[in-house]
Amino acid sequence: MGAVFSGLVRCGSSSGSSSSEPAKAVQRGIPAVPNPPRLVNDFAGVLGSRADELEQILVAFDDSTSNQITVVTVSSLDGYAVEEFALELGRKWGVGKSINNGVVVLIKPKNSDGGGEVTIQVGYGLEGAITDAYCRRIIDNEMIPAFKEEDYYKGISNACDQLMKLASGEISEPRSKEDPSGWAVLLGFFLPLVIFVVVVSIMYKKGGGGSNMSDCDGTGGSRRPFIWFGPGYGGGSSSGSGWGGGHSGGFGGGFGGFGGGSFGGGGASGRW
Amino acid sequence: MKKSTWIILGIVAVIAIWAIAGYNGLVSKDEKVSETISEVDNAYKRRADLIPNLVESVKKYTNYEEDLFKGITEARAAVTKASLDLNNATPEQMKAYFEAQDKMGASMRQIIAVAENYPNPKAVEVFKDLQAQLEGSENRITTARRDWIKATKEYNQSTRRFPNSILASLFGFEKKAYFEASEAEKATPNVGDLLSE
Repeated sequence: MGAVFSGLVRCGSSSGSSSSEPAKAVQRGIPAVPNPPRLVNDFAGVLGSRADELEQILVAFDDSTSNQITVVTVSSLDGYAVEEFALELGRKWGVGKSINNGVVVLIKPKNSDGGGEVTIQVGYGLEGAITDAYCRRIIDNEMIPAFKEEDYYKGISNACDQLMKLASGEISEPRSKEDPSGWAVLLGFFLPLVIFVVVVSIMYKKGGGGSNMSDCDGTGGSRRPFIWFGPGYGGGSSSGSGWGGGHSGGFGGGFGGFGGGSFGGGGASGRW
Repeated sequence: MKKSTWIILGIVAVIAIWAIAGYNGLVSKDEKVSETISEVDNAYKRRADLIPNLVESVKKYTNYEEDLFKGITEARAAVTKASLDLNNATPEQMKAYFEAQDKMGASMRQIIAVAENYPNPKAVEVFKDLQAQLEGSENRITTARRDWIKATKEYNQSTRRFPNSILASLFGFEKKAYFEASEAEKATPNVGDLLSE
């Protein structure tokens, strides 16, 4: 019995993880979702202690409008184009709510690894409010001039001010704790499991015989379909998992976590 | 009822559950392919929607020359001609569609690059915005195409992998074609190169 179950679980989890990125070592590729989740992630260390100031502003904005603006600085793009890096990061972290109202501001400062690059990637749901042309103007007028003077905080906070003004014009949904899709996934997984267990237990009782469930030879031949059931079902369920990096643990006024938003390539980029 | 009846009933039930789950999995993967391909088409349409604005701005801010527009008019006509139901297209039709789209993108980039060199500062700002919109559109196209290729690969894999392959052939889920981006298109477009052509 135990062997069959562990087999099932293994099949389920392996098909689930195949849809996501292969695990990468620290500081290589797209960074993993920060734990606890934060909106300002200064991996390149250009904001210093002022990162917390910005964090508070952006968390307050998330609380009042549900629009999530995340600021990420990295010291290397690891071979990605800047917009691709930001897009993949936004999808992996699930920046924004289910209406895809997330914005990723990614800065790769000028360093030994090459010139400075910046991009603003806008989730599907905000593309109408924060157009590509607006992103271009924010980058050209607010960010790059400040970045040239190495004043990263000024450039980033001015850009966030502009982005917040633009995003406020767009629809925003009130925060809700419920996540119906999560329940559907749970139900979809456990209902077949329950039926499976019932059928197996009936068979085990009625079929008699002292043979072990993990024994697949001889009389166990008729039980093979159960093992197929694992991968067959897993293939179906993995398509529904998506990018939802949904952390729901809210703690005393802090950032409540990313909400599974997705991105389609809207926004603009710049270099200096 | 006899023991053997129960066993047979149990086997039938499990096979039925497996078949339903597998079938639903194939259906949702099939849907995902249709969904992603319409996103590809949308992204291309979005880019084409920039053309009227682009043409108007060029006429307003530059001493435009007619032959500047000849290329884009032709390219746009080719795109309209090649437009099709991508979900049911043959690989050849797909290739023609993407080639026509690539050509149109190239002529749009060319016009913006020419116009950006005009000395009027207002014009420079306008064309920078247009350039940003074009780049955004092309990012969307790249993203949509990548999602589509990924969805198609996943779908094709699950129709061919045992035991789902049994269901796939039983219910007529056929292999789907997709079209990878050409090498020239993958590279970042270089405005300087386009001008020197």
